[in-house]
Amino acid sequence: MNTPSILRRSQSRRRFLRGLGVGLGLPFLEAFGAGERQPPHRMLLISNNLGVLPWHFFPKDTGEDYTLSPYLEDLRDFRDDFTVFSGLSHPSVVGGHSTENCFLTAAKDPTGSGFRNSISLDQFAVDRLGQETRFPTLNLGVNIDRANRSLSWTRDGALLPAEDSPSALFRRLFVQGNRREVERRLHRLRERGSILDAVSDDMRRFQRELGQVDRDRVDQYFTSVRELEERLHTAGEWEQKPKPETEWKEPEDILDKAKFFEKFELMLAMARLALETDSTHIVTLMVDAFATPVFEISEKEKSLNGYHNLSHHGQAKDKIAQLERVDHRQMEVLGNLFRELAAVSEGDQRLLDRTMVLFGSNLGDANVHNSTNLPILLAGGGLRHGRHLAFDREQNLPLCNLFVSMLQHFGVEADAFGSSSGNLNELHS
Amino acid sequence: MRFVIPSIFLWSTAATTLVGESVEEGVFAFLDSHCVECHDESTSKGELDLFAVSFEPEEVKNRETWTRIFDRVSKGEMPPPEENHDLEAEDRKRFVALLGEELTRIDRAEIREQGRGPIRRLTRTEYEDNLRDLLHLPHLDVADFLPEDRTRHGFTRVSKLLDLSRVQLAGYLDAAEAALAMAVASGVEPPEMKEWRFTGTDLFSSTSTFGGREAMFFLRNGKFESIPNQAIKDMTPEQRRDPELELAIFRSATWPYFGYPRGFRAERDGEYRVRFSARAVRQLPGFRVVPAHDPIPMSFRSRQPSGPDVSGDVRETGGWMDLLPETKEFETTILLKAGETFEYSLLGLPVPFIRTDGGFFYDYPPMPPEGHRGGAIQWLEVEGPIAPQDWPPESHRVLFGDLPVREPAAESSLPVEVVSENPEADAARLFRKFAECSARRPVPDESVEGYLDLIREARESGASFAEAMVTGYQAFLCSGYFLYLAEPRGEDAFSLASRLSHLLWNSSPDRELLEKSEDGSLFEPPNLRAETNRLIADPRFERFVTNFTDQWLDLRELRRDIPDGRLYPEYRKDDYLVDSMERETHAFFRAMVRDNLPATVLADSDFTFLNDRLAAHYGLSRETGSAMRRAELPEWSPYGGLLTQASVLKLTTNGTTTSPVLRGVWVMEKLLGDPPPPPPKNVPAIEPDIRGAATIRALLAKHTESESCAACHARFDPVGFALESFDVMGAWRDRYRGLEKGEKITGIDPAGHPFTYFVGTEVDSSGKLLTGETFSNVGELKALLAANPRPLARNLLHQFALYATGVPVRVSERSEIEAILDACEADGFRVGDLLRALVLSDLFTGMQNREIEE
Repeated sequence: MNTPSILRRSQSRRRFLRGLGVGLGLPFLEAFGAGERQPPHRMLLISNNLGVLPWHFFPKDTGEDYTLSPYLEDLRDFRDDFTVFSGLSHPSVVGGHSTENCFLTAAKDPTGSGFRNSISLDQFAVDRLGQETRFPTLNLGVNIDRANRSLSWTRDGALLPAEDSPSALFRRLFVQGNRREVERRLHRLRERGSILDAVSDDMRRFQRELGQVDRDRVDQYFTSVRELEERLHTAGEWEQKPKPETEWKEPEDILDKAKFFEKFELMLAMARLALETDSTHIVTLMVDAFATPVFEISEKEKSLNGYHNLSHHGQAKDKIAQLERVDHRQMEVLGNLFRELAAVSEGDQRLLDRTMVLFGSNLGDANVHNSTNLPILLAGGGLRHGRHLAFDREQNLPLCNLFVSMLQHFGVEADAFGSSSGNLNELHS
Repeated sequence: MRFVIPSIFLWSTAATTLVGESVEEGVFAFLDSHCVECHDESTSKGELDLFAVSFEPEEVKNRETWTRIFDRVSKGEMPPPEENHDLEAEDRKRFVALLGEELTRIDRAEIREQGRGPIRRLTRTEYEDNLRDLLHLPHLDVADFLPEDRTRHGFTRVSKLLDLSRVQLAGYLDAAEAALAMAVASGVEPPEMKEWRFTGTDLFSSTSTFGGREAMFFLRNGKFESIPNQAIKDMTPEQRRDPELELAIFRSATWPYFGYPRGFRAERDGEYRVRFSARAVRQLPGFRVVPAHDPIPMSFRSRQPSGPDVSGDVRETGGWMDLLPETKEFETTILLKAGETFEYSLLGLPVPFIRTDGGFFYDYPPMPPEGHRGGAIQWLEVEGPIAPQDWPPESHRVLFGDLPVREPAAESSLPVEVVSENPEADAARLFRKFAECSARRPVPDESVEGYLDLIREARESGASFAEAMVTGYQAFLCSGYFLYLAEPRGEDAFSLASRLSHLLWNSSPDRELLEKSEDGSLFEPPNLRAETNRLIADPRFERFVTNFTDQWLDLRELRRDIPDGRLYPEYRKDDYLVDSMERETHAFFRAMVRDNLPATVLADSDFTFLNDRLAAHYGLSRETGSAMRRAELPEWSPYGGLLTQASVLKLTTNGTTTSPVLRGVWVMEKLLGDPPPPPPKNVPAIEPDIRGAATIRALLAKHTESESCAACHARFDPVGFALESFDVMGAWRDRYRGLEKGEKITGIDPAGHPFTYFVGTEVDSSGKLLTGETFSNVGELKALLAANPRPLARNLLHQFALYATGVPVRVSERSEIEAILDACEADGFRVGDLLRALVLSDLFTGMQNREIEE
């Protein structure tokens, strides 16, 4: 079928489910056997690098009985499926728009001399859990400046470029790869395998010359080698395993940056498809509002300026009114995503209950480049929801505390990440 | 506060026990009469229930408990002196002797059997420095491939914590792969060196930058010339490069900014030579530019040319250079990655401020009476990448000796192919040499054979000679020989050499040190002392200065918190100040060792190291220039001594408020070596009141009122109170600042932000130590600390020992530490002497084991 119509709701619903039946069959059965095990946890991590108008986002009261804010009113149907947070931010992550690359890393002072980004939440999780799926993570973008922006960063602070083409992503997910490419990657895996053989043989010789205590100490080395070999083996299997089939057709890319919301929805649909077909468990998605020129807010309305200029509303009434409509549309897109995820069942659960959807921004108030009091919303994943968890707006709690709880819920044994000072395990019910 | 009374060496006279009484009986007899009242199963104060503790000090865990009991009793902290226990001094002494001797005996036996600590792997910075030295790649940057090492008390070198995991091992594979890719020649011929010259409007990426016209403009004949951005498009290249124009910059290189030469981008990784001509200027009203009063420091920052935003790394490079009022040429070398450019970074200048009241624009802070400081640049030349003198480069020859290179086959993963007439023999020869260098010791033949098999198999499966060799090298860099450092046990001089070089260079021994290991002559004290001195004098000693101060003092946390712009607007974005603080501490510590300063300089000294920024920060007379210089301090200055360096005062706060508790604990742990026990659970920390209504002293009064709080807090709170005279950045203050109460102060900060804060209550920096001495200000506290240098020196030895060996000083080694202190006392506990004495001690060399084995 042709896109962007895949997102026209009534139709896409049916097609989507049909696609799911075929696509999911193979990996799901293989990975989860006879259905004794729980379906896997997933994460979908979304950031809009210009955020939202804060005063319409944050609820005025807190706790379980909080009153939905104007924006959250758009998500009323899912009130019990998400938690809204206030008073969270990354400590010392300042530097205006440059904070955008730190949303999932919390690396401090991104414009200071000596800055280097650090490992992002998604990569950290994969480091710990290993490759459970064909793609350890998928890193996506909307209108993204791929060379300079990404949510996903390696441990040594290298940018992992975001995929901004739905069709290319589709091919990666469902079209068998270039044989030579696969062969090259397999060769590298094999080479690593022989290196591990050689060093562990040598380590046995090395170990013989050690005393008992030291011998025990270097046992860790063999465990590491074994575990790494398993990972290489898994990676090799994934390289050779046929990709899942799908009834979906390759979508057509939307090249016009002005069709911002359509691009956003299409990318979310791709993310959903990747999760449903168990191609990956972790998706990051940076919505590069900064790089979005004058765009369509609805069929009838175009933005007065590019998104960035619009975000610097300078209290101009017309700009603020327009930003409100932009933000509402964004909440609608988010609501649709929740709806789609809730409509799919996995065993006796909804896909939404197995998918933590984080929506937020690196900016609390783009108008003044403020990177505190970030708008943060977490939905799904089977967590305890339906509350406004409010923290000190003067002395924010580290956003990484939330990340720690998400990691733990995801199955990662970690009690710290980035600048965390604890966790928010009150989400684990 | 209490100065530790070293008691364990007091029981050198044999303990006397009653006839027939076992140690266990003697110990419990004492506890039964003096301790169980509080430490029973129902009260168990300090979470210690003595009825649940067995006496099995052979067990490590159990021994730790007994060591803690021993320490508290021997220091006189238990039973609590204020509770009037009927404990005779004789009884205490006997108990201390009895338990101390038993603990020592068991500890010694264990060391004899197992060594004093386990084998440990390299830390991530050691791994990188080893590779840098091995491959002759001084700028190699691979540490971040490895996960961060765990720390205890700030130290990453603690053997017990240096685990190896799958993530770690995968990191080694990646890091080794990246390092070797850097080492192999990038082509048959050296990369072509290119030249660029920038003049006129090409000196900047645009004709304006954020911050309005005042932030940056062009000059002709020293006068402002308006050049709209639009005009550039209509200019010919010659007009754009008009050599009569000067580029003048009056702001710092912080966000948002993109101040680099137009159109420059490095095509390859490497070093580039930059020459430029510039002068220091002042901007007066009406964009009038006149010569500066003072030099202005500048540097470059390498980064992606990604507009005002920044992605990836931002690295200061090229060092600090001082522009002078008269025009001068400068030359420096900068390090760039492919695709990067470099921006002008004038240090310590204001930054623009975003205004959103009525539109959105960047404003520039108001002009001070003497004008805006800035720099003007006339021209700039770049050439690079600078090729090494020899080709292939040294790093390549470490891997392939003098074998010729040629163009690689199309499918090769390397940029060159190495020609070998006799691959088997060449592989064996090259690999053996590489293995010996990287292992820091001889490697058994059978080990080498294993890697040669790997290389052979790689070749047989289609890899070229060079590719196969690199696979072998990559494997070896992940092997036990490269990753692990063994504990010297007296007979192995190679382990001792590695311990010494990793202590002082964070890396492997050089050839000279290895030669002294081969013949065992390193064990002879004069040789070991000479080698220590040689390593200290070497430039690589700088790695010790940074790594040790990072770990010992937590200096790596210096940039953890940004000063709160509401209370401390004057420090907004003052990176130059923070960098200067760090340099002061490095310079000071370097001098402590190299100039052999007495340990009392930790508490007090009549000099320190200053540049222009730090002198201003310390309220001293004007210094010029960015270089750190040793400067005598006037009598009245509260500075001098490590304790009151701005770096220390900054890293012990959270950027908003100071906490006497945290600073006090830091001093106890880092300078006096007497860390208090961890804070009690379920008791929230007392938060300073940032409104300014209540003083911290009033808030912390609880700590003295409650007996259970006072038991610990009386030891460290007072020290923290003395340091209350310094704000979150270490500047002197007489009164506190708050957000609501007091005298209102308003203004506009260096980033153009309007600010309002309140100056309120006076600082009271007086206090009373646990030992009874009182002080009325920080100067008097420093005098008290300096009057008792032994604890300062002892602590330094403990910190050196942990850093050097990965294991804290063990119970049975305390007497050895005291012996070193005795020997160094006459000369005033000089830091270089302490370090050298430690290196010569058995706990460093492992000689105690040899004696026993003989």
